[in-house]
Amino acid sequence: MLFSLRELVQWLGFATFEIFLHVLALLVFSVLLVLKVDSGGAELSWWKVFIPFFAADGLSTYFTTIVSVRLFQDGEKRLAVLRLFWILTILSLKFVFEMLLCQKLVEQTRELWYGLIMSPVFILLQLLMIRACRVN
Amino acid sequence: MRMSLAQRVLLTWLFTLLFLIMLVLKLDEKAPWNWFLIFIPVWIFDTILLVMLIVKMAGRCKSGYDPRNGSQNVKKKAWYLIAMLLKLAFCLALCAKLQQFTEMKLVYVFIPLWALLMGGMIELGYNIFYVRRD
Repeated sequence: MLFSLRELVQWLGFATFEIFLHVLALLVFSVLLVLKVDSGGAELSWWKVFIPFFAADGLSTYFTTIVSVRLFQDGEKRLAVLRLFWILTILSLKFVFEMLLCQKLVEQTRELWYGLIMSPVFILLQLLMIRACRVN
Repeated sequence: MRMSLAQRVLLTWLFTLLFLIMLVLKLDEKAPWNWFLIFIPVWIFDTILLVMLIVKMAGRCKSGYDPRNGSQNVKKKAWYLIAMLLKLAFCLALCAKLQQFTEMKLVYVFIPLWALLMGGMIELGYNIFYVRRD
């Protein structure tokens, strides 16, 4: 809409299939979230609700590793290392955010404030902005 | 009225950042504002997108426009318009739920989001499997 798919792939560095995977994870997560909240939250723990995101992160890491190994074998060493480094940074920031959020929801501690939980997302936003300048 | 990629990225980035900051303030109970006020960046961003989309679609009604070169394009624009409206519906319902205006179940809030995500996945799937085969 605002961005074409090609621009998104260029900007985020993810392949179309990986974007599909993350959207699917979001869909399954929202269904689990609704099940959890509407049923009073008795039988489904927050860790189980977050499983789709963790699974998508794992699959995405696996996929990226394979693509990078193939690129490396084809002689595109610089591209392979850059791609691996970028995607792993993004995925680890996302993973930290999910872990912190899940922990907060499970334990409801006051020490874990939302500014702290959101900090990986703020870092992610700055990185994406820098990358957008480079892609241009 | 075609924005460059940098302008579009900056627009998205700015509104996302503003929204996240306001969300954090609200969740940490530093700002006792209404949920509809917290979502102001989202409303502004959605309005800008909707206006841009409608202006583009209205451009077809100009005299001298050749309708033969864009039947596919119109379908796409219509889908984008529906997607925007679904997103808006989801945000409005979510705000109403969080503000406890209504006593509805969360399922009804999420129905527009699910429709939007399904549509998005169909489009992505089409791009992955169908376009590549050509």
